[in-house]
Amino acid sequence: MLPVTEAAPALDIRGLSKSYRIGHLRGKRRPALRDLTLRVPRGAVFGCLGPNGSGKSTTLKLLLGLIFPDSGDAVILGHPMGARAARQSLGYLPENPYFYDYLTPREYLDYAGRLFGLSPGARRDRARELLDLVGITPAADVQMRRFSKGMLQRLGLAQALVNRPELVFLDEPMSGLDPLGRRSVREIILKLKAEGSTVFFSTHILPDAETLCDEVAVLRGGSVVAKGRLDQILTLDVSHMEVLVSGLAPPDVSGLAPGVETFRSMGERLVLHVPEKQLGGVVVAVEQRGGRVLSVQPVRQSLEDFFVAEMGQPAKGEAWTAGA
Amino acid sequence: MRAPALLAMLLAAAVPWTQARIDARLGRHRAQEEVLYLWSGEQVRRLVPGFEDLLADVYWLRTVQYFGGQRVYAANKRFDLLLPLVDITVTLDPRLQIAYRYGATFLAETYPIGAGQPQAAVKLLERGVRNLPHDWRLRQDLGLFHYYFLDDPQRASQILLEAAQIPGSPPFLATLAAQVLMKGGDRTTSRQVWRRIYEQGEGPMKNNAAIHLAQLDALDALDAVNAAILAHERGTGVRPATLDDIRAAGYRGPLVDPVGVPFAYDRSEGRATLAPSSSLWRPNLK
Amino acid sequence: MRRVAAVAHNTFRESVRERVLYNLLFFAVIMTVSGLLLGELSIRQDAKIIKDLGLAAMDLFGTLIALFVGVGLVSKEIERRSLHPLLAKPVSRDEFLVGKFAGLGFTLLVNVGLMTAGLYATLLALRRGADPALLKAVFAIYLALLVTVALALLLSIVTSTAVASVSTLCLVIAGRYSDVILNLGDVVPGMPAWALRAFMILIPNFRNFDLKDRVVYGDPVSFGDLGWITAYAAAYTGTVITLAVIAFRRRELT
Repeated sequence: MLPVTEAAPALDIRGLSKSYRIGHLRGKRRPALRDLTLRVPRGAVFGCLGPNGSGKSTTLKLLLGLIFPDSGDAVILGHPMGARAARQSLGYLPENPYFYDYLTPREYLDYAGRLFGLSPGARRDRARELLDLVGITPAADVQMRRFSKGMLQRLGLAQALVNRPELVFLDEPMSGLDPLGRRSVREIILKLKAEGSTVFFSTHILPDAETLCDEVAVLRGGSVVAKGRLDQILTLDVSHMEVLVSGLAPPDVSGLAPGVETFRSMGERLVLHVPEKQLGGVVVAVEQRGGRVLSVQPVRQSLEDFFVAEMGQPAKGEAWTAGA
Repeated sequence: MRAPALLAMLLAAAVPWTQARIDARLGRHRAQEEVLYLWSGEQVRRLVPGFEDLLADVYWLRTVQYFGGQRVYAANKRFDLLLPLVDITVTLDPRLQIAYRYGATFLAETYPIGAGQPQAAVKLLERGVRNLPHDWRLRQDLGLFHYYFLDDPQRASQILLEAAQIPGSPPFLATLAAQVLMKGGDRTTSRQVWRRIYEQGEGPMKNNAAIHLAQLDALDALDAVNAAILAHERGTGVRPATLDDIRAAGYRGPLVDPVGVPFAYDRSEGRATLAPSSSLWRPNLK
Repeated sequence: MRRVAAVAHNTFRESVRERVLYNLLFFAVIMTVSGLLLGELSIRQDAKIIKDLGLAAMDLFGTLIALFVGVGLVSKEIERRSLHPLLAKPVSRDEFLVGKFAGLGFTLLVNVGLMTAGLYATLLALRRGADPALLKAVFAIYLALLVTVALALLLSIVTSTAVASVSTLCLVIAGRYSDVILNLGDVVPGMPAWALRAFMILIPNFRNFDLKDRVVYGDPVSFGDLGWITAYAAAYTGTVITLAVIAFRRRELT
């Protein structure tokens, strides 16, 4: 874990608020972001997490000047939010990106390069580099109307990196990718970090955040409900063990109680959740009933557990499954 | 694969067939008529700002097609659409010279070549002259139509003189003005008139002028034939039985009209005339 | 400027790849058929009719393109969100808008230019001569197209694509019927003179750009006339584009 530097943060959000008008009546507004305050140190990988409607995308759009805040401001790489100078060193991957059907990836990257003021030679080289990095070189000259979601996602990542940005905003970067693709994105993010860039990404896929982020902020209903380094948010105590057993049927489990808290089936095997203290007794009980213990895994609290614990039942309008 | 293609062909063939049936029942030009009953020239003009000239061209093409679609000398020709079509055309484009000349020609000609409305023709030409005051050809036509169709050599001469004043007009207009006044009604003058119209004309108008010239030639030939018949009667005391008789007697002039149809001979009257079957024949040919 | 050029270039490329220029094929067919058939059918008015047809087609096709492509220029990008990754780069909204306008303007220039070439080719094929005065009418038509694009752009930013299509069409039609508007005072008795005047000024007067009749009949059109027509177009288009810039700056891109 990188030490938190005292130098100017890459991103300094102060009291950002935004509400949307509901319907066409002047009166009713739905608050999307309430007084958001956050700092992202340089060189960190920062995760912005939360269920649908929690304000993650709103935050990104505000930072990029796509929408305008009701109050508050932000400083991005030392520049005020929305200033052109900031955007010279930024990269952005929107959620569900849509590019131009009639262009090829190479052409799109060339266009992006032109907007950054790169010379034709530099654009060509950079395009080649990026196409290779995200793995779409074979389709470099195919019009994007033929692209799957996964390929668009890869291009999205590529175009976010054209200018070797100091700060990269990624909105649901893993969306639409197969496991190989996701691994590839993870590697790219780690590579960016190794090169000194700051990465700010929002996601609802918690395991990704767990493995990549130095710090996270958890949003709910437009406010931050938890913020800080992962190891500060999650308890690392090994609280449970996962015991994989074979040779027992679900009805047999009741006989193993009180050791077993819960269990689930995996085909013809069972996975038992057992508090650490009860482990010994449960193992013996399993063997006595003719089952076999295949493996024992310590389980620490995951971000998902944290979510469930801290947030309880979803409030009205929240959805846990789809991205926000 | 075969059945749908066959079906498509059958249905496609049905389209023109049913159209022909509809036209037979309801009349081929009914769309034009219906439109004309609804819109005046001004109304049409207001509908298409910026595209008036193009629409005038469309109406012009329809006018030519409408008239050309009817055989030159056929029984039930309809002229009631001619003036409205031309009216809309020149309302849309007041400078479309050819529309005035064409419209006037076929309004003025006697039925069944034209509508037999020389007054309407002259009014049309007057409108043309108002809209194209520097066009000597329209003014010339106006003058000539006064002479030939309205039997008004005075007015005709005046107008021809006006035309002669227009810069760029040819020298013969002044001569024509004088001739028209001096010899009003004379065949030579008529020939001059139609000669000019023939030289300047295009398409149907040229053909029409050619027909007039042929008619004049025919009348000249008939004069000679009738003189020969009279001479024959005086000489032999008996009218010729047929026109071959005067040929046998030594007459050398043509016995057929310029389109090749033999002259008709009425023994009881002792006169040769144009055969009614000839395309040159008109009632009351001057 | 380079960024504006980049946006313009891409916009032109989009037009080409989205087959906007296919209307030229249709135009070529019309010219060829007219050239072949009109001579007899029109009693040798074919040259005049072909000029009328060519100029009218430029006007009509050009207007349709300016309108329907114009309303989608920016609003389609907003609706599909293809705009978002681009605006995150150091291109301002103003540059984007102006670039889009320039790109479509260039597309229309190419379209009109090729039609002009086709028209002249047809006239030359009929041995009727290439009258250079036609270019004045073409130029005026092109100015009208730019005005149409500007209007489409503004309306599409302040409303949706669909509403913008209809309202721009209405404005374009109203702009051609300026004589009707002049007579509005008669039709609507209560209308005050200032309102009528305001109406007349607000609506683009497309009659200013209609030189077709004059050019085909050989009336003189001085460069002074063209100069004033251009100035009107510049003033009107400039105003509309500036308003569009203001509206676009304030538009939230959710």
